[in-house]
Amino acid sequence: MIELNKVSKWYGSFQVLAECSTQVAKGEVVVVCGPSGSGKSTLIKCVNGLEPFQKGEITVDGISVGDPRTDLPKLRSRVGMVFQHFELFPHMNVLRNLTLAQVKVLGRSEEEARDKGLKLLERVGLSAHKDKFPGNLSGGQQQRVAIARALCMDPIAMLFDEPTSALDPEMINEVLDVMVALAKEGMTMMVVTHEMGFARKVAHRVIFMDAGRIVEDATKDDFFGTPRSERAQLFLSKILHH
Amino acid sequence: MFSGFDFDVIQRSFVYLFRDGMVFTLTLTAIAMAGGIVFGTLLAMMRLSGLRLVSAAAGAYVNLMRSLPLVLVIFWFYFLVPWIGGWLMGGGATIKVGAFLSAAITFTMFEAAYYCEIMRAGIQSIPRGQVAAGQALGLNYWQTMGLVVLPQAFRNMVPVLLTQTIILFQDTSLVYVISVTDFLGAASKVANRDGRLVEMYLFAALVYFIVSFTASQYVRTLQARIAVIR
Repeated sequence: MIELNKVSKWYGSFQVLAECSTQVAKGEVVVVCGPSGSGKSTLIKCVNGLEPFQKGEITVDGISVGDPRTDLPKLRSRVGMVFQHFELFPHMNVLRNLTLAQVKVLGRSEEEARDKGLKLLERVGLSAHKDKFPGNLSGGQQQRVAIARALCMDPIAMLFDEPTSALDPEMINEVLDVMVALAKEGMTMMVVTHEMGFARKVAHRVIFMDAGRIVEDATKDDFFGTPRSERAQLFLSKILHH
Repeated sequence: MFSGFDFDVIQRSFVYLFRDGMVFTLTLTAIAMAGGIVFGTLLAMMRLSGLRLVSAAAGAYVNLMRSLPLVLVIFWFYFLVPWIGGWLMGGGATIKVGAFLSAAITFTMFEAAYYCEIMRAGIQSIPRGQVAAGQALGLNYWQTMGLVVLPQAFRNMVPVLLTQTIILFQDTSLVYVISVTDFLGAASKVANRDGRLVEMYLFAALVYFIVSFTASQYVRTLQARIAVIR
């Protein structure tokens, strides 16, 4: 479904990604972790072309992301993305946030988009808030709306960029619950997160990054059992300390 | 103290001052504001464009306009446009451009440079993540701008845009250089005709003050109400 082949990226002379290669199969859940500044977020943003990369190749469902002839908006409309800071549109109410791209990008009718939006809003347990504005919702609620917004597009895969990092601790679980349910339904997911509990529960594979490189790319059991790299062991010992 | 003055002149010329003068001033202000904001927004998008040629062209235009006195631009435009128009038509003869049209175009183009800088700040005040979110949903550049970025930028900038419009309202009085009768022009004509300079200019100042001050007070109340909750 998603394939990365030796992807490299530079900011000026600083290399943020160095020959990153991996793949995510259909229905697979892959967690990307690593210390801050290791390039995890940059990597996931390269997958739907939000960040350009200079070398290597990324294909999503057989379509090359780096190819200048690729219709990027169209490709992005098929890949859902959830951001660290939610990024709901603050000048629109919740329902409009959900229907906007359905109407403007997929060409659905307002009514069809509304039905779909309400259905997904119910799924994330926020039907009662459909007329509110994002600013009046808690962080956890906003992130659930953001997930619903991405799902409205019937994506073939979902990208999560640290979806719980900006949340208060008591709101993390309500978001993770939605993500776990999604993973169990067989959604293809690439998730940048530090939530090792989530990784343990639903991930098939775990990728560990450091200094722009993929240091470890292992099945979940291997990763939590005996990570091969010293750097990953150190990282795990630090975040699983308590 | 006021015994030597004749304030009756105001009453006698009231209809002329407002029906002819003020209507012109307000019409010109409204046209230049609407056109200036539209062009200014386009210029701002150009300035922020990743294409270097496009941003340089917009930058050059804005810097040029902001470096010239408005009076000079009005003056030049009024006398040059007929020539340029004639040259473009290929006839060699000058084309006729009315003073009003000339003023409307000049003010629109001049103000666009200032509105551009306001909208540029407004666009830049919107977090990058909003653009990313729009793009991630499959919106193209124009949709992302038109549906996500500009509505927010515009709302954030309404107070500043209106403040600029108040300045524009005062600046329209400069059309006197091409002998157009705006509010101040009308007041000036009456003043000279009746020899009542002090009374008329005092009255004109009062009217400009009342309009501008009321408008700026309104902007202040608006400011508190309109901001997007984030």
